[in-house]
Amino acid sequence: MNLRSLLNFLLVFLMLLVTSCSQIPVFKEYNTLAKIGDSAGWAAKNLNEEDWSLEKPIVKPGEVFWYRTPIDILKAPEPLHPYAIRPYLYGEYEVFWDGVLIGKNGNPGQEATLGPEGKMFAPFIIPSHLTEEGEHMLAIRVSLLYFSDHVGMKIDLENYDDLLTTRLIETSYMHIFAGAFLIASIYFLFLFLGNKKEHPMLIFSISCFLFFLLNLAEFITNYVPIHYRHHGIRLEIIGILTFGISFLIPLYLSMQFPYPKRRLFLMVYALVLLFVFFIKHDFFVFTYRNMVLSMWVFSFGIAVFGAYKKIKGASLVLATLLLSLLINSLISFRISLFVGFSLILLGMFYLLSLRIKEQRLAYENSLIQSTRLRLELLKKNIQPHFLMNTLTSLIDWVEETPKKGVLFIEALAKEFDLFNQIENETRIPITQEIELCRTHLEIMEYRKEVNYFWEEEDIDSEEKIPPGILHTLLENGITHSLPLEDNSVRFKLLYTSNDAYKSYTFLTYAKNVREPNSARQEGTGLKYIKARLAESYNSKWDFTSNPTNHGWKSSIKIYS
Amino acid sequence: MNILIVEDELRIAKRIERMTREIFGNSLLSLTRIDTLYKALHYIEDYALDLVLLDLNLNGDNGFDPLTKAVSESFHTIVISAYKDQAITAFEYGVLDFVPKPFNQDRLAHAFNRLNTKERITTNTIKFLAIKKRGRIQLIAIQDVLYIKGAGAYTELFLKNGDQELHDKSLEKLEQLLSYSFERIHKSYLVKMSEVKDIIVASGSKYMVELKNGNHVPVGRTKYKDLRAKWA
Repeated sequence: MNLRSLLNFLLVFLMLLVTSCSQIPVFKEYNTLAKIGDSAGWAAKNLNEEDWSLEKPIVKPGEVFWYRTPIDILKAPEPLHPYAIRPYLYGEYEVFWDGVLIGKNGNPGQEATLGPEGKMFAPFIIPSHLTEEGEHMLAIRVSLLYFSDHVGMKIDLENYDDLLTTRLIETSYMHIFAGAFLIASIYFLFLFLGNKKEHPMLIFSISCFLFFLLNLAEFITNYVPIHYRHHGIRLEIIGILTFGISFLIPLYLSMQFPYPKRRLFLMVYALVLLFVFFIKHDFFVFTYRNMVLSMWVFSFGIAVFGAYKKIKGASLVLATLLLSLLINSLISFRISLFVGFSLILLGMFYLLSLRIKEQRLAYENSLIQSTRLRLELLKKNIQPHFLMNTLTSLIDWVEETPKKGVLFIEALAKEFDLFNQIENETRIPITQEIELCRTHLEIMEYRKEVNYFWEEEDIDSEEKIPPGILHTLLENGITHSLPLEDNSVRFKLLYTSNDAYKSYTFLTYAKNVREPNSARQEGTGLKYIKARLAESYNSKWDFTSNPTNHGWKSSIKIYS
Repeated sequence: MNILIVEDELRIAKRIERMTREIFGNSLLSLTRIDTLYKALHYIEDYALDLVLLDLNLNGDNGFDPLTKAVSESFHTIVISAYKDQAITAFEYGVLDFVPKPFNQDRLAHAFNRLNTKERITTNTIKFLAIKKRGRIQLIAIQDVLYIKGAGAYTELFLKNGDQELHDKSLEKLEQLLSYSFERIHKSYLVKMSEVKDIIVASGSKYMVELKNGNHVPVGRTKYKDLRAKWA
């Protein structure tokens, strides 16, 4: 899906959400009064409420108390479509409407003896003859054996059908999200298991999974009955999941948009998050909000840094963050939390896809590069300068002294044979490379009639190196130097190794062919050496090549 | 005949030397072998030469810089190279011949033969003349040259835009390189035939050619018949 259609989809989705949440209410709720004690008469529609209090009562565990809430019905229900009421409160309770008992959720006052019963968020149908337009009275007789400090309530009043279905529809939408993120989580977990160096994938996978769990935990009450004493556990789980996601998203962004002193910033951020998590811990929504806010602010900072540094994908993440902020200002926190998280996760998803694309391109390039290097190695023996000069010299030797010509041919055959053996390798034993060099010197002696000497020191015959690199240095040494007074050129290969690196030093003892001040450009030979080293050792190598007073010195360092 | 061999492969240099000596025999006055470019460049400054045998790929260099330098000089250049694909460019710059490696004595003799015979080089044609101007080498496109006047050891190039340039090669040597489109109409003049508009007889029975741009160039008495025949 391209970016534009993704954004369009999100926009439509957003509008659906906004419209679904903005129906005109059919009732008006007045202040709730409360009183500790128990009396059947307190359910009555009209009552002298002089000693009832607006304050939340302080009750003992299991003690019975009453809420009374006047409610105006603004519009009578359609015939055969009764209204229902859903109170949001802790405890086991009985619901009275205009003095009539319309429902029961558990056994108020008898929780200890009868055991826990009922569920949270239960709907109760109001008989239709009691829902004409005008004033009505909701009275609730309640007791709290657990969490006796969680006093207070809100209500929802709506068509019974709508009351049941609205939340289920909402849940089904949110669970589509949840499912998508579960799949994403599993997929990226597998990708990570396939390549354990890819930590962003793991973090993304965990984020998706936590988001999936958070979604379940949030909406599970709409189809699984939970007794009020377990509700705290759910809220605690939501808190922990929010904490996890709030930490992982900035961590992920930190990896994608690296900024200086990351570790320090992340540690400070973790402390802030912990502080938010534990201060006013019982005010769950407050805690969630502040954690999400911290996450947003920090992520925004990182994305701004990324966009400033022009890192690919940063501006998109910035856009999703701003969009999530916009959504949060438009719709309820409960929904916007999920939509916002989803957007941010989608942004992260996009980043991963960018990185995967980059990796694929890099991989393809490396394949091409390897093929190119192989061809270059093969070409060494058929490139005209080598081949035609060798053949011309060979003809000359054959014409003049056929026996020497035969030896020349044999040396040539040996070099060809060695090249055939190493052609497909990315690394070959050092001994094989040295043999290649010696054979090459033999050929060059016939061509140039210079005495070439090969020396080596402390070579570890177990070591391997990329094929053709010493050979290339040797070729350069031959081409770019003139023999000393005694018509000789000496080459010397030194090897040292320690814990940090292995090092080859290649020395040429000869006269430099150039006028002293003429600059020398990097030839294809040195490029070949560097490309071969990069192919085998990534960036863990060093190569230098400089003139010295005795000729030339090249050194290759391979770091462990 | 003074010859310089520029070749960094000793065995091959010796081969060229041996064959050259055999081909030229007693007519050879001097023969020098040099294995680096900068020594060669110094050498051609200091000594008069008739022919340079040049390998284009000396000590890992491959380029046409040494070649442009060589063709701007008074001597003829024959390139001996492992890279056959350089042949066309070498001819365009005005080498006498291009001998690909590996070569034998016959091939070399054939190249040297061009020095003496007026064999027309028609397959590979010269496109530029390299001249030395203010210490630098400049390439003049052949299509811009109208006619050439011999001036002792030098020659003067008369160009379409009215400019005149000096070239170090003698008229005889340029005639060898340019014979496919230029004609020697006078002991001192070489004219591009495609620029000739008419042949006219001036007073005192002097012959002239009139060029398309209106210039007149004298025609030698002995050359007139030949020219007339070619012109008709």
